[in-house]
Amino acid sequence: MNGQRWIDFAGQAIFHTLVAALVVEALVRLWGVRQPEQRTGFRLLALGWPLLVVPALFLAFPGREEESFRDARAIFAGRHWDDLAFLGIGLYGWWIGIMSAAGLGLFLLDLVPWLRARNVRPPPWIPGAPGSRPAEEALSRAAAALGIAPPGLAWVEGGPPVLFCTGTRNPRVVTSSSAVELLDRDELAAALAHELAHLERRDPTLSWALMGARALMWFNPGVQVLVRAIARDAERTADERAGQACGDRLALASGLLKLYRATEGRGRGAGAGSRPLSAALAEPIARARAHDIELRCRALLGPPPAPVPLARLRLAAAAAGLGLLLFFVV
Amino acid sequence: MTAATVAGATGSTVSEGARALWTLALVLGGTTVALVALDAMPTWLHGQPRGVRRAATVEDAERRIQSRVLLPSYFPDTLRWPPAEVRFTRDGGGSVALTFLGTDGAPDLVLAQTVAGAGPIPDGLHGRLAVIQQQSAPLGDDAVLSRVVAEDGTLWSQLEWTRGGRRFLLRGRGSLENLIRMARSIHGERR
Repeated sequence: MNGQRWIDFAGQAIFHTLVAALVVEALVRLWGVRQPEQRTGFRLLALGWPLLVVPALFLAFPGREEESFRDARAIFAGRHWDDLAFLGIGLYGWWIGIMSAAGLGLFLLDLVPWLRARNVRPPPWIPGAPGSRPAEEALSRAAAALGIAPPGLAWVEGGPPVLFCTGTRNPRVVTSSSAVELLDRDELAAALAHELAHLERRDPTLSWALMGARALMWFNPGVQVLVRAIARDAERTADERAGQACGDRLALASGLLKLYRATEGRGRGAGAGSRPLSAALAEPIARARAHDIELRCRALLGPPPAPVPLARLRLAAAAAGLGLLLFFVV
Repeated sequence: MTAATVAGATGSTVSEGARALWTLALVLGGTTVALVALDAMPTWLHGQPRGVRRAATVEDAERRIQSRVLLPSYFPDTLRWPPAEVRFTRDGGGSVALTFLGTDGAPDLVLAQTVAGAGPIPDGLHGRLAVIQQQSAPLGDDAVLSRVVAEDGTLWSQLEWTRGGRRFLLRGRGSLENLIRMARSIHGERR
Protein backbone atom coordinates (compact mmCIF):
# COMPACT_ATOMS: atom_id res chain seq x y z
CA MET A 1 0.00 0.00 0.00
CA ASN A 2 1.24 3.48 -0.82
CA GLY A 3 1.12 6.44 1.57
CA GLN A 4 -2.23 7.65 0.30
CA ARG A 5 -3.80 4.22 0.84
CA TRP A 6 -2.44 4.13 4.41
CA ILE A 7 -3.99 7.54 5.09
CA ASP A 8 -7.29 6.35 3.62
CA PHE A 9 -7.06 3.20 5.75
CA ALA A 10 -6.38 5.20 8.92
CA GLY A 11 -9.22 7.61 8.11
CA GLN A 12 -11.69 4.83 7.47
CA ALA A 13 -10.59 2.87 10.54
CA ILE A 14 -11.15 5.94 12.73
CA PHE A 15 -14.45 6.94 11.11
CA HIS A 16 -15.89 3.42 10.99
CA THR A 17 -15.02 2.90 14.67
CA LEU A 18 -16.77 6.14 15.63
CA VAL A 19 -19.91 5.27 13.65
CA ALA A 20 -19.93 1.64 14.85
CA ALA A 21 -19.38 2.70 18.48
CA LEU A 22 -22.12 5.36 18.35
CA VAL A 23 -24.59 2.96 16.73
CA VAL A 24 -23.75 0.21 19.23
CA GLU A 25 -24.06 2.56 22.22
CA ALA A 26 -27.41 3.84 20.93
CA LEU A 27 -28.67 0.27 20.49
CA VAL A 28 -27.41 -0.80 23.92
CA ARG A 29 -29.41 2.02 25.50
CA LEU A 30 -32.53 1.74 23.35
CA TRP A 31 -32.68 -2.04 23.67
CA GLY A 32 -32.04 -1.80 27.42
CA VAL A 33 -28.99 -4.09 27.42
CA ARG A 34 -27.96 -3.91 31.09
CA GLN A 35 -26.18 -7.21 31.64
CA PRO A 36 -22.46 -6.38 31.43
CA GLU A 37 -21.59 -9.60 29.59
CA GLN A 38 -24.09 -8.77 26.85
CA ARG A 39 -22.83 -5.18 26.69
CA THR A 40 -19.32 -6.54 26.17
CA GLY A 41 -20.58 -8.53 23.17
CA PHE A 42 -21.97 -5.41 21.53
CA ARG A 43 -18.86 -3.35 22.29
CA LEU A 44 -16.63 -6.10 20.91
CA LEU A 45 -18.59 -5.77 17.66
CA ALA A 46 -17.59 -2.09 17.46
CA LEU A 47 -14.01 -2.89 18.52
CA GLY A 48 -13.69 -5.66 15.94
CA TRP A 49 -14.71 -3.29 13.15
CA PRO A 50 -11.40 -1.45 12.63
CA LEU A 51 -9.38 -4.55 13.49
CA LEU A 52 -11.10 -7.04 11.20
CA VAL A 53 -13.78 -5.55 8.97
CA VAL A 54 -11.96 -2.45 7.69
CA PRO A 55 -8.84 -4.43 6.61
CA ALA A 56 -11.14 -7.04 5.04
CA LEU A 57 -13.01 -4.34 3.11
CA PHE A 58 -9.72 -2.90 1.85
CA LEU A 59 -8.49 -6.29 0.70
CA ALA A 60 -11.72 -7.74 -0.68
CA PHE A 61 -13.21 -4.61 -2.26
CA PRO A 62 -10.43 -2.42 -3.69
CA GLY A 63 -13.07 -0.80 -5.91
CA ARG A 64 -14.39 1.04 -2.85
CA GLU A 65 -11.27 3.19 -2.92
CA GLU A 66 -11.75 4.32 -6.51
CA GLU A 67 -12.89 7.85 -7.32
CA SER A 68 -15.99 6.60 -9.11
CA PHE A 69 -17.22 4.76 -6.00
CA ARG A 70 -16.37 7.73 -3.80
CA ASP A 71 -18.19 10.25 -5.99
CA ALA A 72 -21.16 8.22 -7.19
CA ARG A 73 -21.96 5.40 -4.74
CA ALA A 74 -20.62 6.30 -1.29
CA ILE A 75 -23.08 7.83 1.15
CA PHE A 76 -20.12 9.47 2.89
CA ALA A 77 -16.61 10.02 1.55
CA GLY A 78 -14.11 11.64 3.88
CA ARG A 79 -12.06 12.89 0.93
CA HIS A 80 -14.93 15.19 -0.07
CA TRP A 81 -13.96 17.26 2.98
CA ASP A 82 -10.59 17.82 1.34
CA ASP A 83 -12.45 20.23 -0.97
CA LEU A 84 -12.22 22.62 1.98
CA ALA A 85 -8.67 23.48 2.99
CA PHE A 86 -7.04 25.26 5.90
CA LEU A 87 -3.38 26.35 5.66
CA GLY A 88 -3.13 24.38 2.43
CA ILE A 89 -4.22 21.09 4.01
CA GLY A 90 -7.66 19.57 3.35
CA LEU A 91 -10.04 19.35 6.31
CA TYR A 92 -10.10 15.55 6.03
CA GLY A 93 -6.32 15.55 6.50
CA TRP A 94 -6.69 17.84 9.53
CA TRP A 95 -9.37 15.58 10.97
CA ILE A 96 -7.21 12.45 10.61
CA GLY A 97 -4.27 14.28 12.19
CA ILE A 98 -6.28 15.56 15.17
CA MET A 99 -7.97 12.20 15.74
CA SER A 100 -4.62 10.38 15.56
CA ALA A 101 -3.16 12.77 18.13
CA ALA A 102 -6.18 12.17 20.39
CA GLY A 103 -5.81 8.38 19.95
CA LEU A 104 -2.11 8.50 20.78
CA GLY A 105 -2.80 10.70 23.81
CA LEU A 106 -5.41 8.28 25.18
CA PHE A 107 -3.10 5.33 24.55
CA LEU A 108 -0.16 6.98 26.32
CA LEU A 109 -2.42 8.00 29.20
CA ASP A 110 -2.65 4.31 30.14
CA LEU A 111 0.65 3.04 28.71
CA VAL A 112 2.93 5.42 30.62
CA PRO A 113 1.56 4.60 34.13
CA TRP A 114 1.62 0.91 33.20
CA LEU A 115 5.29 1.09 32.15
CA ARG A 116 6.11 3.06 35.31
CA ALA A 117 4.36 0.46 37.46
CA ARG A 118 6.46 -2.28 35.84
CA ASN A 119 9.63 -0.47 36.94
CA VAL A 120 8.52 -0.37 40.58
CA ARG A 121 9.80 -3.44 42.42
CA PRO A 122 6.83 -5.17 44.13
CA PRO A 123 7.03 -6.25 47.78
CA PRO A 124 8.23 -9.86 48.18
CA TRP A 125 5.59 -12.56 47.70
CA ILE A 126 5.66 -15.07 50.48
CA PRO A 127 4.06 -18.39 49.57
CA GLY A 128 2.49 -20.24 52.50
CA ALA A 129 3.05 -17.41 55.01
CA PRO A 130 1.36 -17.96 58.40
CA GLY A 131 -0.77 -14.84 58.09
CA SER A 132 -2.17 -15.91 54.76
CA ARG A 133 -4.29 -18.76 56.13
CA PRO A 134 -7.60 -16.78 56.34
CA ALA A 135 -7.11 -15.63 52.75
CA GLU A 136 -6.29 -19.17 51.57
CA GLU A 137 -9.40 -20.54 53.28
CA ALA A 138 -11.56 -17.76 51.82
CA LEU A 139 -10.03 -18.38 48.39
CA SER A 140 -10.84 -22.09 48.57
CA ARG A 141 -14.43 -21.36 49.60
CA ALA A 142 -14.84 -18.80 46.81
CA ALA A 143 -13.35 -21.20 44.25
CA ALA A 144 -15.72 -23.93 45.38
CA ALA A 145 -18.68 -21.53 45.07
CA LEU A 146 -17.61 -20.69 41.52
CA GLY A 147 -16.94 -24.34 40.69
CA ILE A 148 -13.30 -23.86 39.71
CA ALA A 149 -9.98 -25.12 41.09
CA PRO A 150 -8.41 -22.58 43.47
CA PRO A 151 -5.40 -20.86 41.90
CA GLY A 152 -2.19 -20.12 43.77
CA LEU A 153 -2.23 -17.31 46.32
CA ALA A 154 0.64 -14.84 46.35
CA TRP A 155 0.92 -13.20 49.73
CA VAL A 156 2.38 -9.79 50.38
CA GLU A 157 3.27 -8.96 53.97
CA GLY A 158 2.61 -5.34 54.94
CA GLY A 159 2.44 -2.44 52.51
CA PRO A 160 -0.79 -0.98 51.18
CA PRO A 161 -3.86 -3.21 50.71
CA VAL A 162 -3.68 -5.10 47.41
CA LEU A 163 -6.08 -7.62 45.93
CA PHE A 164 -5.84 -8.51 42.27
CA CYS A 165 -5.40 -11.42 39.92
CA THR A 166 -2.58 -11.90 37.45
CA GLY A 167 -1.04 -14.41 35.08
CA THR A 168 -2.11 -15.82 31.76
CA ARG A 169 -0.43 -19.25 31.88
CA ASN A 170 0.07 -19.43 35.64
CA PRO A 171 -2.87 -17.51 37.10
CA ARG A 172 -2.88 -16.51 40.75
CA VAL A 173 -4.51 -14.11 43.13
CA VAL A 174 -2.31 -11.59 44.90
CA THR A 175 -3.36 -10.17 48.23
CA SER A 176 -1.72 -8.62 51.23
CA SER A 177 -1.94 -8.78 55.00
CA SER A 178 -3.30 -5.23 55.10
CA ALA A 179 -6.13 -6.16 52.69
CA VAL A 180 -7.10 -9.12 54.92
CA GLU A 181 -7.03 -6.84 57.97
CA LEU A 182 -9.11 -4.20 56.17
CA LEU A 183 -11.93 -6.47 54.99
CA ASP A 184 -14.27 -8.52 57.11
CA ARG A 185 -14.83 -12.22 56.39
CA ASP A 186 -17.73 -11.78 53.94
CA GLU A 187 -16.09 -8.86 52.16
CA LEU A 188 -12.87 -10.81 51.71
CA ALA A 189 -14.72 -13.84 50.34
CA ALA A 190 -16.67 -11.64 47.90
CA ALA A 191 -13.57 -9.72 46.80
CA LEU A 192 -11.65 -12.97 46.23
CA ALA A 193 -14.64 -14.38 44.30
CA HIS A 194 -14.49 -11.27 42.12
CA GLU A 195 -10.83 -11.94 41.29
CA LEU A 196 -11.56 -15.64 40.68
CA ALA A 197 -14.35 -14.62 38.31
CA HIS A 198 -11.73 -12.68 36.33
CA LEU A 199 -9.52 -15.77 36.17
CA GLU A 200 -12.50 -17.97 35.26
CA ARG A 201 -13.20 -15.69 32.27
CA ARG A 202 -9.45 -15.50 31.42
CA ASP A 203 -9.59 -11.72 31.79
CA PRO A 204 -5.79 -11.35 32.25
CA THR A 205 -5.34 -12.88 28.77
CA LEU A 206 -8.14 -10.70 27.42
CA SER A 207 -6.49 -7.59 28.88
CA TRP A 208 -3.25 -8.40 27.02
CA ALA A 209 -5.22 -8.89 23.81
CA LEU A 210 -6.98 -5.57 24.35
CA MET A 211 -3.65 -3.84 25.03
CA GLY A 212 -2.38 -5.32 21.77
CA ALA A 213 -5.44 -3.97 19.96
CA ARG A 214 -4.81 -0.54 21.49
CA ALA A 215 -1.16 -0.60 20.42
CA LEU A 216 -2.13 -1.68 16.89
CA MET A 217 -4.78 1.06 16.70
CA TRP A 218 -2.82 3.71 18.63
CA PHE A 219 -4.10 6.37 16.20
CA ASN A 220 -7.76 5.46 16.72
CA PRO A 221 -9.42 7.28 19.66
CA GLY A 222 -12.58 5.19 19.25
CA VAL A 223 -10.63 2.00 19.92
CA GLN A 224 -8.97 3.52 22.99
CA VAL A 225 -12.36 4.52 24.44
CA LEU A 226 -14.02 1.21 23.53
CA VAL A 227 -11.28 -0.84 25.20
CA ARG A 228 -11.76 1.18 28.40
CA ALA A 229 -15.52 0.53 28.22
CA ILE A 230 -14.90 -3.20 27.71
CA ALA A 231 -12.52 -3.22 30.70
CA ARG A 232 -15.26 -1.61 32.82
CA ASP A 233 -17.71 -4.23 31.55
CA ALA A 234 -15.22 -6.96 32.58
CA GLU A 235 -15.21 -5.54 36.13
CA ARG A 236 -19.00 -5.43 36.20
CA THR A 237 -19.21 -8.99 34.85
CA ALA A 238 -16.83 -10.21 37.55
CA ASP A 239 -18.92 -8.32 40.14
CA GLU A 240 -22.08 -10.06 38.96
CA ARG A 241 -20.44 -13.48 38.89
CA ALA A 242 -18.98 -12.99 42.38
CA GLY A 243 -22.32 -11.73 43.71
CA GLN A 244 -24.05 -14.75 42.22
CA ALA A 245 -21.47 -17.18 43.65
CA CYS A 246 -21.29 -15.66 47.13
CA GLY A 247 -24.91 -14.61 47.36
CA ASP A 248 -23.89 -11.38 49.11
CA ARG A 249 -23.76 -8.45 46.71
CA LEU A 250 -23.63 -5.91 49.53
CA ALA A 251 -20.47 -7.45 50.97
CA LEU A 252 -18.77 -7.08 47.59
CA ALA A 253 -19.88 -3.44 47.30
CA SER A 254 -18.66 -2.74 50.81
CA GLY A 255 -15.30 -4.46 50.18
CA LEU A 256 -14.93 -2.56 46.93
CA LEU A 257 -15.45 0.77 48.68
CA LYS A 258 -13.06 -0.06 51.49
CA LEU A 259 -10.30 -1.10 49.10
CA TYR A 260 -10.88 1.98 46.95
CA ARG A 261 -10.67 4.31 49.95
CA ALA A 262 -7.54 2.60 51.22
CA THR A 263 -5.77 2.69 47.88
CA GLU A 264 -6.99 6.00 46.42
CA GLY A 265 -4.03 8.19 45.46
CA ARG A 266 -1.54 5.37 46.05
CA GLY A 267 1.30 5.14 43.55
CA ARG A 268 1.62 8.85 42.75
CA GLY A 269 5.25 9.80 42.68
CA ALA A 270 6.42 12.71 44.78
CA GLY A 271 5.86 15.91 42.89
CA ALA A 272 3.79 14.24 40.17
CA GLY A 273 0.91 16.56 40.93
CA SER A 274 3.10 19.60 40.51
CA ARG A 275 3.95 18.82 36.88
CA PRO A 276 1.56 20.83 34.73
CA LEU A 277 0.19 17.98 32.58
CA SER A 278 -0.10 15.37 35.32
CA ALA A 279 -1.63 17.93 37.67
CA ALA A 280 -4.20 18.84 35.04
CA LEU A 281 -5.01 15.19 34.30
CA ALA A 282 -4.90 13.84 37.86
CA GLU A 283 -8.17 15.40 38.94
CA PRO A 284 -10.38 14.24 36.04
CA ILE A 285 -8.81 10.76 36.09
CA ALA A 286 -9.41 10.43 39.84
CA ARG A 287 -12.99 11.63 39.34
CA ALA A 288 -13.56 9.11 36.53
CA ARG A 289 -12.23 6.29 38.73
CA ALA A 290 -14.46 7.36 41.60
CA HIS A 291 -17.41 7.45 39.20
CA ASP A 292 -16.62 3.91 38.02
CA ILE A 293 -16.57 2.64 41.61
CA GLU A 294 -19.81 4.47 42.37
CA LEU A 295 -21.54 2.90 39.36
CA ARG A 296 -20.31 -0.57 40.29
CA CYS A 297 -21.51 -0.16 43.88
CA ARG A 298 -24.88 1.17 42.73
CA ALA A 299 -25.27 -1.83 40.43
CA LEU A 300 -24.43 -4.18 43.30
CA LEU A 301 -27.01 -2.52 45.58
CA GLY A 302 -29.75 -3.52 43.13
CA PRO A 303 -30.74 -6.94 41.88
CA PRO A 304 -28.73 -8.63 39.12
CA PRO A 305 -29.67 -7.15 35.71
CA ALA A 306 -31.88 -9.37 33.59
CA PRO A 307 -30.49 -10.46 30.23
CA VAL A 308 -32.17 -8.92 27.21
CA PRO A 309 -34.00 -11.55 25.11
CA LEU A 310 -32.77 -12.52 21.62
CA ALA A 311 -29.34 -11.06 22.35
CA ARG A 312 -27.51 -13.07 19.67
CA LEU A 313 -30.13 -12.22 17.06
CA ARG A 314 -29.84 -8.52 17.95
CA LEU A 315 -26.06 -8.70 17.74
CA ALA A 316 -26.20 -10.44 14.35
CA ALA A 317 -28.75 -7.93 13.04
CA ALA A 318 -26.65 -5.00 14.29
CA ALA A 319 -23.53 -6.47 12.63
CA ALA A 320 -25.36 -7.01 9.34
CA GLY A 321 -26.88 -3.53 9.40
CA LEU A 322 -23.55 -1.89 10.21
CA GLY A 323 -21.87 -3.93 7.49
CA LEU A 324 -24.36 -2.75 4.90
CA LEU A 325 -24.12 0.87 6.04
CA LEU A 326 -20.37 1.15 6.43
CA PHE A 327 -19.63 -0.53 3.11
CA PHE A 328 -20.73 2.76 1.57
CA VAL A 329 -18.68 4.91 3.94
CA VAL A 330 -15.18 5.54 2.57
CA MET B 1 -46.79 -25.73 30.01
CA THR B 2 -50.06 -25.39 28.14
CA ALA B 3 -50.42 -24.71 24.42
CA ALA B 4 -51.78 -21.24 25.24
CA THR B 5 -48.70 -20.43 27.34
CA VAL B 6 -46.36 -21.61 24.56
CA ALA B 7 -48.28 -19.57 21.98
CA GLY B 8 -48.16 -16.53 24.29
CA ALA B 9 -44.40 -16.87 24.79
CA THR B 10 -43.82 -17.28 21.03
CA GLY B 11 -45.97 -14.23 20.30
CA SER B 12 -44.09 -12.21 22.88
CA THR B 13 -40.73 -13.26 21.37
CA VAL B 14 -41.90 -12.34 17.87
CA SER B 15 -43.12 -8.91 18.97
CA GLU B 16 -39.90 -8.36 20.95
CA GLY B 17 -37.89 -9.26 17.84
CA ALA B 18 -39.98 -6.98 15.65
CA ARG B 19 -39.53 -4.09 18.11
CA ALA B 20 -35.78 -4.70 18.18
CA LEU B 21 -35.58 -4.69 14.38
CA TRP B 22 -37.66 -1.51 14.19
CA THR B 23 -35.31 0.21 16.66
CA LEU B 24 -32.31 -1.00 14.65
CA ALA B 25 -33.85 0.33 11.44
CA LEU B 26 -34.46 3.71 13.10
CA VAL B 27 -30.90 3.97 14.42
CA LEU B 28 -29.34 2.93 11.10
CA GLY B 29 -31.71 5.19 9.17
CA GLY B 30 -30.84 8.15 11.38
CA THR B 31 -27.14 7.38 11.00
CA THR B 32 -27.50 7.20 7.21
CA VAL B 33 -29.26 10.58 7.08
CA ALA B 34 -26.55 12.11 9.29
CA LEU B 35 -23.80 10.67 7.08
CA VAL B 36 -25.42 11.87 3.86
CA ALA B 37 -25.79 15.36 5.38
CA LEU B 38 -22.16 15.31 6.52
CA ASP B 39 -21.07 14.26 3.03
CA ALA B 40 -23.05 17.06 1.40
CA MET B 41 -21.74 19.72 3.76
CA PRO B 42 -18.45 20.60 1.92
CA THR B 43 -20.41 21.12 -1.32
CA TRP B 44 -22.99 23.20 0.55
CA LEU B 45 -20.30 25.29 2.27
CA HIS B 46 -18.77 25.98 -1.14
CA GLY B 47 -22.17 27.05 -2.42
CA GLN B 48 -22.02 24.45 -5.16
CA PRO B 49 -25.09 22.64 -6.47
CA ARG B 50 -25.68 19.01 -5.54
CA GLY B 51 -23.59 16.57 -7.53
CA VAL B 52 -20.94 19.14 -8.46
CA ARG B 53 -17.46 18.36 -7.11
CA ARG B 54 -14.23 20.30 -7.11
CA ALA B 55 -10.96 18.87 -8.36
CA ALA B 56 -7.52 20.18 -7.56
CA THR B 57 -6.25 20.15 -11.15
CA VAL B 58 -7.40 19.34 -14.67
CA GLU B 59 -5.53 16.02 -14.40
CA ASP B 60 -7.35 15.26 -11.14
CA ALA B 61 -10.69 15.93 -12.84
CA GLU B 62 -9.69 13.74 -15.80
CA ARG B 63 -8.80 10.91 -13.43
CA ARG B 64 -12.03 11.22 -11.52
CA ILE B 65 -14.32 11.30 -14.54
CA GLN B 66 -12.05 8.89 -16.44
CA SER B 67 -12.01 10.96 -19.61
CA ARG B 68 -9.77 13.54 -21.29
CA VAL B 69 -10.73 17.20 -21.04
CA LEU B 70 -10.28 19.02 -24.35
CA LEU B 71 -8.36 22.29 -23.93
CA PRO B 72 -7.76 25.14 -26.38
CA SER B 73 -4.31 25.24 -27.94
CA TYR B 74 -4.72 29.01 -28.30
CA PHE B 75 -4.56 30.70 -24.92
CA PRO B 76 -4.40 34.51 -24.85
CA ASP B 77 -1.93 36.32 -22.57
CA THR B 78 -4.81 38.02 -20.79
CA LEU B 79 -5.66 34.76 -19.01
CA ARG B 80 -3.87 33.03 -16.16
CA TRP B 81 -2.94 29.34 -16.32
CA PRO B 82 -3.74 26.98 -14.56
CA PRO B 83 -7.48 27.33 -14.08
CA ALA B 84 -8.47 28.85 -10.76
CA GLU B 85 -11.33 26.42 -10.33
CA VAL B 86 -11.96 22.95 -11.75
CA ARG B 87 -15.42 21.55 -11.18
CA PHE B 88 -17.00 18.40 -12.48
CA THR B 89 -20.17 16.36 -12.23
CA ARG B 90 -21.01 12.79 -13.09
CA ASP B 91 -24.59 13.73 -13.93
CA GLY B 92 -25.61 13.19 -17.56
CA GLY B 93 -22.55 11.09 -18.36
CA GLY B 94 -20.09 13.59 -16.89
CA SER B 95 -19.15 17.23 -17.51
CA VAL B 96 -16.27 19.52 -16.53
CA ALA B 97 -16.05 23.28 -16.12
CA LEU B 98 -12.81 25.27 -15.83
CA THR B 99 -12.74 28.86 -14.61
CA PHE B 100 -9.77 31.00 -15.65
CA LEU B 101 -8.84 34.29 -14.06
CA GLY B 102 -7.76 37.29 -16.02
CA THR B 103 -4.57 39.22 -15.29
CA ASP B 104 -6.66 41.48 -13.02
CA GLY B 105 -7.47 38.45 -10.80
CA ALA B 106 -11.18 38.37 -11.68
CA PRO B 107 -12.91 35.44 -13.44
CA ASP B 108 -12.43 36.02 -17.15
CA LEU B 109 -13.25 32.78 -18.94
CA VAL B 110 -15.34 29.67 -18.34
CA LEU B 111 -14.83 26.55 -20.44
CA ALA B 112 -17.39 23.78 -19.89
CA GLN B 113 -17.84 20.54 -21.78
CA THR B 114 -19.53 17.18 -21.55
CA VAL B 115 -17.22 14.18 -21.66
CA ALA B 116 -19.72 11.59 -22.87
CA GLY B 117 -22.64 12.51 -25.09
CA ALA B 118 -23.82 15.70 -26.67
CA GLY B 119 -26.50 16.30 -24.07
CA PRO B 120 -26.76 19.62 -22.29
CA ILE B 121 -24.07 20.67 -19.84
CA PRO B 122 -25.72 20.81 -16.38
CA ASP B 123 -26.49 24.43 -15.46
CA GLY B 124 -25.14 23.91 -11.94
CA LEU B 125 -21.66 23.44 -13.33
CA HIS B 126 -21.22 26.81 -15.01
CA GLY B 127 -24.21 28.84 -13.82
CA ARG B 128 -26.83 29.66 -16.43
CA LEU B 129 -26.90 33.42 -17.15
CA ALA B 130 -29.67 35.55 -18.65
CA VAL B 131 -29.40 35.74 -22.45
CA ILE B 132 -29.98 39.17 -23.91
CA GLN B 133 -28.99 38.51 -27.53
CA GLN B 134 -28.47 35.34 -29.55
CA GLN B 135 -27.30 34.46 -33.07
CA SER B 136 -25.72 31.55 -34.92
CA ALA B 137 -21.94 31.25 -34.75
CA PRO B 138 -19.39 30.04 -37.32
CA LEU B 139 -18.56 26.82 -35.45
CA GLY B 140 -21.06 24.33 -36.79
CA ASP B 141 -24.74 23.85 -37.50
CA ASP B 142 -25.96 24.15 -33.92
CA ALA B 143 -23.40 26.71 -32.74
CA VAL B 144 -24.90 29.69 -30.93
CA LEU B 145 -23.26 32.93 -29.97
CA SER B 146 -24.96 34.84 -27.15
CA ARG B 147 -24.53 37.94 -25.09
CA VAL B 148 -25.29 37.07 -21.49
CA VAL B 149 -25.48 39.17 -18.37
CA ALA B 150 -24.05 38.04 -15.03
CA GLU B 151 -25.61 38.69 -11.60
CA ASP B 152 -23.24 41.62 -11.06
CA GLY B 153 -24.45 43.18 -14.32
CA THR B 154 -21.32 42.50 -16.39
CA LEU B 155 -21.78 41.41 -19.99
CA TRP B 156 -20.15 38.22 -21.27
CA SER B 157 -19.94 36.57 -24.67
CA GLN B 158 -20.93 32.95 -24.77
CA LEU B 159 -20.40 30.29 -27.41
CA GLU B 160 -22.21 26.94 -27.33
CA TRP B 161 -21.65 24.21 -29.89
CA THR B 162 -21.47 20.44 -30.39
CA ARG B 163 -18.53 18.65 -31.97
CA GLY B 164 -17.26 15.04 -31.83
CA GLY B 165 -20.15 13.90 -29.68
CA ARG B 166 -19.47 16.52 -27.01
CA ARG B 167 -21.24 19.69 -26.02
CA PHE B 168 -19.05 22.75 -25.37
CA LEU B 169 -19.61 26.11 -23.72
CA LEU B 170 -17.08 28.93 -23.76
CA ARG B 171 -17.93 32.14 -21.96
CA GLY B 172 -15.59 35.10 -21.73
CA ARG B 173 -15.37 38.77 -20.90
CA GLY B 174 -12.66 39.41 -23.50
CA SER B 175 -12.92 40.04 -27.20
CA LEU B 176 -15.26 37.94 -29.30
CA GLU B 177 -12.46 37.27 -31.77
CA ASN B 178 -10.32 35.66 -29.07
CA LEU B 179 -13.27 33.59 -27.91
CA ILE B 180 -13.94 32.18 -31.38
CA ARG B 181 -10.23 31.57 -31.94
CA MET B 182 -10.01 29.64 -28.66
CA ALA B 183 -13.11 27.62 -29.56
CA ARG B 184 -11.63 26.67 -32.92
CA SER B 185 -8.28 25.76 -31.36
CA ILE B 186 -9.99 23.19 -29.15
CA HIS B 187 -10.60 21.19 -32.34
CA GLY B 188 -7.21 21.90 -33.87
CA GLU B 189 -8.42 24.66 -36.19
CA ARG B 190 -6.00 27.57 -36.56
CA ARG B 191 -8.48 30.39 -37.36
